[in-house]
Amino acid sequence: MSDVQLPAGRGAAGVAPAARRRTPQPTGWWGAVLFLCAEVTLFGTMIGSYFYLDFDSHHWPPAGVPMPEILKVSVSTGVVVLMSIPMWRAAKAAQAGRRRETALLIFFAMFWQAAYLGFQIYLWRLDYLQFHPQGSAYGSIYFTLLTTDHAHVLLGILADASILMFILLKGLPRYQRIGVRGLAFYWHVVNVLIICVYLTLLSPRL
Amino acid sequence: MATVITPAGQRHVERLEKIWAPRAGVLGWLMTTDHKRIGIMYFFTALAFFGAGGVEAEIIRTQLMTPNNHLIGPQAYDEVFTMHGITMIFLFVIPMTTGAFGNYLLPLMIGARDMAFPRMNALSYWVYLASGLFMYYSLANGHAPNAGWFDYVPLAERAFDPGNNIDFYGYGLIFNGISSTMASINFIVTIFKMRAPGMSLNRMPLFCYAFLATSLALLFALPSLTVACIFLELDRELGFHFYDPHFGGDPLLWQNLFWIFGHPEVYIIILPAFAIATAIIPTFSHRRMVAFPLVALAEILVAFLGFGVWVHHMLTVGFATIVYVYFTAASLIITIPSAIQIFSWIATIVSGKPQFKTPLLFICGFIVYFIIGGLSGITLAAIPFDQQVHDSYYVVAHFHFVIFGAAVFPILGGMYFWFPKVTGKMYRERWGQVSFWLTALGTMVTFMPMHIVGIIGMPRRNWTYPSGLGWAGYNLSETIGAYILLAGLLTIFANLAWSLWRGEPAGNDPWGGDTLEWSTTSPPPVYNYPVIPTVSSPYPMWDTADRERDNRRLERGEGLMELGHQTPSSTVQDAELEEVLEMPSSSIWPLLTAASLTAVFASLVLTHYWIAAGFVVVLGCTLIGWHWESLSRHGVMAYEQEAHA
Repeated sequence: MSDVQLPAGRGAAGVAPAARRRTPQPTGWWGAVLFLCAEVTLFGTMIGSYFYLDFDSHHWPPAGVPMPEILKVSVSTGVVVLMSIPMWRAAKAAQAGRRRETALLIFFAMFWQAAYLGFQIYLWRLDYLQFHPQGSAYGSIYFTLLTTDHAHVLLGILADASILMFILLKGLPRYQRIGVRGLAFYWHVVNVLIICVYLTLLSPRL
Repeated sequence: MATVITPAGQRHVERLEKIWAPRAGVLGWLMTTDHKRIGIMYFFTALAFFGAGGVEAEIIRTQLMTPNNHLIGPQAYDEVFTMHGITMIFLFVIPMTTGAFGNYLLPLMIGARDMAFPRMNALSYWVYLASGLFMYYSLANGHAPNAGWFDYVPLAERAFDPGNNIDFYGYGLIFNGISSTMASINFIVTIFKMRAPGMSLNRMPLFCYAFLATSLALLFALPSLTVACIFLELDRELGFHFYDPHFGGDPLLWQNLFWIFGHPEVYIIILPAFAIATAIIPTFSHRRMVAFPLVALAEILVAFLGFGVWVHHMLTVGFATIVYVYFTAASLIITIPSAIQIFSWIATIVSGKPQFKTPLLFICGFIVYFIIGGLSGITLAAIPFDQQVHDSYYVVAHFHFVIFGAAVFPILGGMYFWFPKVTGKMYRERWGQVSFWLTALGTMVTFMPMHIVGIIGMPRRNWTYPSGLGWAGYNLSETIGAYILLAGLLTIFANLAWSLWRGEPAGNDPWGGDTLEWSTTSPPPVYNYPVIPTVSSPYPMWDTADRERDNRRLERGEGLMELGHQTPSSTVQDAELEEVLEMPSSSIWPLLTAASLTAVFASLVLTHYWIAAGFVVVLGCTLIGWHWESLSRHGVMAYEQEAHA
């Protein structure tokens, strides 16, 4: 039903060519972007709180708490950040309606994202054996920031799994294609946030 | 000119009626995704919470009526004033403005048939209702929050407040924030993407600009409150140390996080009031708004600048003077966009042909009280003065003029203004005017003496006070004023209730309004408009040629979108038709999702963490069911075929 015509106003005629050059984004895409704006603000607030407490303290981390580990965290972070590439390709494949390729790319990314999360939980436990969130404000913000980041990743993996299930069961209707685009965008943002959290927590070593 | 349905158009209307027919009975309301029904549910829920908050206000004023009064004890007083603040801000003003007015009116004003995400809209409502009941359950079982609406630590820490009163606050506000975040996303996308063809950004009503600004402020302000509450609950429940200075934490972290949210919150409260004012003033002044682009810009600017002024709530905590100077300057800058709007409203009224019906009277009251509240706000931005009157009744006077005088008056005016549209009935004008004068008098008598009693030293939040300090007369006046105010409010609701029953038929457009909602029937049909309107100015109802063309299009069967629950989606800037969306009709998943979320928060407050985790899994299942419904929807095929048609 495209029988709704634009009124022939001066403004509409003038801007029409420019508007045609822009790629229109569906409502679902806008919803995903705004949801991520809220999430980024939430992480930004937590990161801001980390530095607020840092600037307030004489010793950061406090005496007796080891400096954060760099090598293992950097390698695992690098792996998960690289998963933005298959997610980007999956969004392209979904856009083109290539169901099998989309599913495989999401599965590939999900495997490495899950591996990253598993390894991070292992590192979290190693940290916990050395200091506790109840020991100091440093421990409180360190573990809270890290755990929130991991929860973010877990949410993404669950979203991967559910979209994968829907693709396998229901194919790639337009609703799903928008969903895959939203998911890819989610992972790009998560990866940027992972880098920000990683740099924040490593800041005492930098 | 309203839509006139001719016999030729009747066939199309009947088809739309059949397609959009809502599910009958209680289940229809529980599963509804219709923005108007959701708006009505928001309205009555917010009204109920307003009643509860009003009772709390009367208890406070009765307790303070005379010195050494013992109507209630100090602990009950703490709970009552805390719940009064929480209720009025989180459970009444915001849900009433964005939830009720925004939900009902915004899609109508932009010529859409629903919000961008109808099921998420329903979920926002159910989560709001559940979070309100969650917090009020604490009052019923004697453990209501009791550290004030801004809940400062260390008072709110476990060591000083060992019950679970504060946990209801912390979890309750996180819970409530989920609803507000979803609502803000929905409003932004609706405003960006659902406008009728031709309603480019420069032709969008000022009402919608104010809601856009409010929604953006909500979206970016709420995470700060959420983080503050998460830290608080981690401190209280798991022994973390965010706010404990003995372990490297800092109580001022709470104050910063709270007010980074709290000051934009003031504009989140006041901007919808501006929205209502900008809808009522042109209609009753019979002219276009003076300086329309400047007002639109000012609305956005107010929301933006509101993020840079939070420290003016903390002028006594001991930050460096340079910090205070910056925040004072930033606070003063906000007077510029505020003044632009005030001058524009006044200029529009003065240069038009004002007809002082009840809605416009309430807006005039709003302008007067906003100026009084704004001027006392400027005095509070002066550092030495603020340090003198901080935590005194002067501050209470200031924010009640802003929040009650400036935010609630337009809500009351808006109730009268859109009552004919929502119900199809006219209210009783004479009683409307009586209710205005009673409410205005009550407001002045209640809150004006608070300035004086604050300056002469009465601190806020004290449950009683000794005699002989010169405060008794002022407090007695304030209490008398509170009961006059109550009489005014009861007159309003009695008038509207009576008119709902016995009011005269209103017709489509009793006021000669300027925005699109007046073009459809009163009350509007489920599908809002039989033909999707086209727009060529910010005052579409005054563009009679456009409305006549809509009538002709209905006769010809153009622009009906009658293949399902369809509504147009348009481009962000120019509102060119982009695609036709198939909207969900009704769904049980929003209610089930809200119920699961309620179970999660109830388990958390009871510290049953594993049960909470179990309900998180249930929550995940409801979300899968939600998306399964989307994919299984009959309309998916139609959606596929018609997108980009």
